Amino acid sequence: MLKLAYQYILYYKSQAFAILASIILTTALLSGMSSFMYSNTCNDLENKKTMYGSWHYSILMDKDISKFYNKKEKEFSVVQYGKMEIVDKIEEQYLIYFLKTDNVYRKLTHREIVKGNYPKKSNEIAMDRYTLGNLGFSEQIGDSIDFNGKEYILSGIIESIWAEDTDVMEIFVGDDFNKNIGEKEKLSFFYLQFDEKKPLYKQLDAFLKKYHLSSDCVKENQEVTAYLSGEKPDSIYDIIKFGLTNKDGNFTYIILKLQQEYQLSFYGMIFFLCFLSLFVIYSVFNISVSKRISEYGIMQTLGISETQIGITFVLELWLLFLIGYPLGCFLGNGILNLFYQKLQHNQVFIQEEIGTAKFYIACPVIFFGFIFLLLSFLLIAFLVVHILRKQSIYQAIKGDYFLKKGRKIYSKHYFYLADIVTRKFLFSNKKKVIGILLSLSIGSCIFLCTIYMAENLKVHAEMSMKADDGLNSDYKISIKSKKMSDTIPADIVDTIKEIKELSEAYAVKYILGEITIQKEELEWEEYFDEQNKDPYYQQNFGGICVKKKDGTYGIKYDIYGYDDGMIEKLSEFLLEGKLKKEELKQGNKIIAVANMDAQGNYNFYGKHPGDKITLKVPKDLNCDKEILKFQSKETNYVEKEFEIAAILSRSLTKEDNFLVVPPWNDAPSLIMTNQEMEKQYGIKNYRLFHISTSKKEMIDNIRNRLLNEIHDIPKAVLQGYTTEMEIKKNQLLQQELFFFAIAGILLVISLFHIINSMTYSIFSHKREYSIMRAMGITDIGFYKMIIKAGILYGLLTDIFIFLLYHMILRQGMNYYMVHIVQFLHIKTEVPSLIMIMLMILNLLITVISVVIPARQVVKSNIISEISA
Amino acid sequence: MSEILKLCHIEKIYGEKESKVFALHDVNMQVKEGEFIAIVGTSGSGKSTLLNLIGGLDTPTKGKILIKGRELNLLKRKELTIFRRRNIGFVFQNYSLMPVLNVYDNVALPITFDRGNHKNHDYIEELLKELGIWDKRKKYPSELSGGQQQRTAIARAMINKPAILLADEPTGNLDTSTALEVMGLLKTSCQKYNQTILMVTHNEAIAQTCDRIIHIEDGKILQKPLFLEKDGDKKC
Repeated sequence: MLKLAYQYILYYKSQAFAILASIILTTALLSGMSSFMYSNTCNDLENKKTMYGSWHYSILMDKDISKFYNKKEKEFSVVQYGKMEIVDKIEEQYLIYFLKTDNVYRKLTHREIVKGNYPKKSNEIAMDRYTLGNLGFSEQIGDSIDFNGKEYILSGIIESIWAEDTDVMEIFVGDDFNKNIGEKEKLSFFYLQFDEKKPLYKQLDAFLKKYHLSSDCVKENQEVTAYLSGEKPDSIYDIIKFGLTNKDGNFTYIILKLQQEYQLSFYGMIFFLCFLSLFVIYSVFNISVSKRISEYGIMQTLGISETQIGITFVLELWLLFLIGYPLGCFLGNGILNLFYQKLQHNQVFIQEEIGTAKFYIACPVIFFGFIFLLLSFLLIAFLVVHILRKQSIYQAIKGDYFLKKGRKIYSKHYFYLADIVTRKFLFSNKKKVIGILLSLSIGSCIFLCTIYMAENLKVHAEMSMKADDGLNSDYKISIKSKKMSDTIPADIVDTIKEIKELSEAYAVKYILGEITIQKEELEWEEYFDEQNKDPYYQQNFGGICVKKKDGTYGIKYDIYGYDDGMIEKLSEFLLEGKLKKEELKQGNKIIAVANMDAQGNYNFYGKHPGDKITLKVPKDLNCDKEILKFQSKETNYVEKEFEIAAILSRSLTKEDNFLVVPPWNDAPSLIMTNQEMEKQYGIKNYRLFHISTSKKEMIDNIRNRLLNEIHDIPKAVLQGYTTEMEIKKNQLLQQELFFFAIAGILLVISLFHIINSMTYSIFSHKREYSIMRAMGITDIGFYKMIIKAGILYGLLTDIFIFLLYHMILRQGMNYYMVHIVQFLHIKTEVPSLIMIMLMILNLLITVISVVIPARQVVKSNIISEISA
Repeated sequence: MSEILKLCHIEKIYGEKESKVFALHDVNMQVKEGEFIAIVGTSGSGKSTLLNLIGGLDTPTKGKILIKGRELNLLKRKELTIFRRRNIGFVFQNYSLMPVLNVYDNVALPITFDRGNHKNHDYIEELLKELGIWDKRKKYPSELSGGQQQRTAIARAMINKPAILLADEPTGNLDTSTALEVMGLLKTSCQKYNQTILMVTHNEAIAQTCDRIIHIEDGKILQKPLFLEKDGDKKC
């Protein structure tokens, strides 16, 4: 059988080459796409590690650390661990910790020394720029620092925390600092990095079990562990069961959970590409077999069994696959690797450590793809044998076409029969036609989906930067206090606004409030129940959503006052209603930020613009802590009714001293104008201040001026985002470029596939075309006929792509973007020019791909082709 | 009868240097309008090559082929194609029908290549009836017997009313009675439409039914054409 398969390959060289080419191209697509997705994930992980540190878990513990250094057990493997001890702290006016740390901790948390040395002597300290600046110290190494009644020497500057996002200022000290502190007076944390090749949650469980530690002492670096199975996933069975049987479960729940816990989109794409490869190879192989049916018929008369024919098919495919698969992997990964190298070589996007993109080969996927396709060829062989079985041996020997035999006489209705012949060759088998169209259009569809995704991702990322990350300005001045009366005075805000170099300066007022909701309007009671259980909310606010005596619910809300510039910027996040500044300033108008469920659906208690809400706020900002529970006398509060002017998906800033507390990072909020805030509640001062400059070269100068201005404001801190914004923008640009480049590469690969398929489709009818030439069709007539068929195929492919993309894929993408990855924005379309260019390109390619074989048909000898 | 075909010193060589093969060597022949000629010879003698050269499907290495006074070698590719379409009909041993077209459309196909040519459906009907396959006109080649397929191929070859009909072993795949039927049809059409037929065959009995027999061996014509003796037209 092997010899027979080998001889078939040698004899039917063009057919074998077409199958080999389809294997190479689909493998290139499969391996290239999987490596690209894998590289994207790996690069994301690396970026997150640089931003948030490469540690996985921190554990508060008092055990001797030396015993698990480099410890490798069966169930867990500690690759690195670092130690951090809080040896002293100051609580007023800022919360400041004195930390003793080792090298590994600093490496794992990305808090390494960027200037000077780590403290060694008892009077030496090191800090990051954020702490130094806000405490009012210079960055000069060796400077004497008078602090907390003692004198220290600044020995070094530590790398700042990502986005300076911290409630605590940290001062790093040497081993000799506070040497006499007792073991029980200090807090010791161990930062662990496990072996990333195994699921982290399993290793953590084993580790905790081994050392008899409680999981309550563990803090997880979620930004990083999210990529590495940091938490035990639910079983797929449980997820599907819940989705199908629970009242809160639905299809989106299943998809979302599978995405979160099993990387559904990655594995889904791999499976899709595997099946696509299989389908393409099958369709080319099927055409090839259909051209030699008669030989199999003859072989059957000679006694070969169907099983043996099937084995011949499998062996033929395997032989070609063994050559094609490595070549395809080499081609797909090679092109991408070159692209990555080129990018790195040009240093287009390299800035500091974040943003460098490396290429990773998805070896497990390549291995999986190999095994999958290898085994799937058995299925192909079975299917082809099954098709052969439909014919009798006699029919097979005659080499009958599987034609749907209409009885129409075309020459009575059409003048030019040549077009009919070509059309019949190309379109006689509807299943084959759909197969070919699908395989022709798949590259373009992937291209369009990638562009669609990239376009929306870009807008989403920009909006997220403005909303979620707070990276919408170069600087943010905020008050690190839980008292609402601690504010940024209006006169200082005005002074800062006078700085010429500023391009934007938006001051935000704040008050905590409570809205009243009827029971029937309340959504997600379970969510609020869960939130109410948080001790932080219980102690400070008596819960987030509290049922009142009259049966209504009071829900705590962050109420912000925005100025005109910020109100304008909200338009990007508008879900319903209108944002008219003048209207918002007149009358009791308020903007509501909708709640978003885990599946990306927005709702504001079923209310819409024009509806009313009742809002209650403390009468005095300098109120007692108990008043913030909204359970004291009514005279302590002001209650007013507001009309909803608009509903948004996000707000632009967050006050993180009240309701925003991890893990509840999306506190509900309402927005009104600053003027309205003053008119309604008499609030004059500000709580947050966002500042940007157009003169980036002045960034340090402006920073110093801002620090100087806020120096006398109690508990005011300045956070700088310039570096982070640059890095984020770089990442975004890089991601965007990669998306486009990959889409382009995939498109090129698919275009080659189109050429291969179409060329082969023409070649498979070489004999019939030669008969037509013998009958007297001129070369020009032949070309015209073939080109017409190419145009027809191109147009059909374009229509197919258009319908497939608009009616199925885009709907699927929208669903994915809204409910699974929860984009803030899905309105951006693929630019029409790209769409038109793609359509023209497809048309051009199909025409080129029919002209190439047509030239060879014309050059071939009529007689030898007819007698073949 | 006027002369319709003339071959002068035709030589056809395949391959080069050591692998050079003389398929035809100094072949001279003349054919008059309305003749039915059989070309016989052993396998590899060069009879099919001769037919292909006459049909313009292949080009001679040396020599001239004149059909209706026009030298094929001097025609441009497109002119040759059109000339062939209008003046030469082909019947192949393996029928070479279009599997995706029914009998009627297979027959009509060559006319449709000529944009200006009017499709004479009455003539198609007449031909199909003459050849006894009118009731099979909506059938596809795979639904026909060998004899029916060959009749379709003959009808297709005759549809443009060609001056010369070239048939390469038209009865090679047929049983004796069908072969005789096909021969009868060819003869009838030769007489009815005054067509010249050159037929390659290795079957001596079938060859005997023709007006003239040309024997080819090793690329050379063995027997002098009979009409040369009659008419005394001895030179090219």
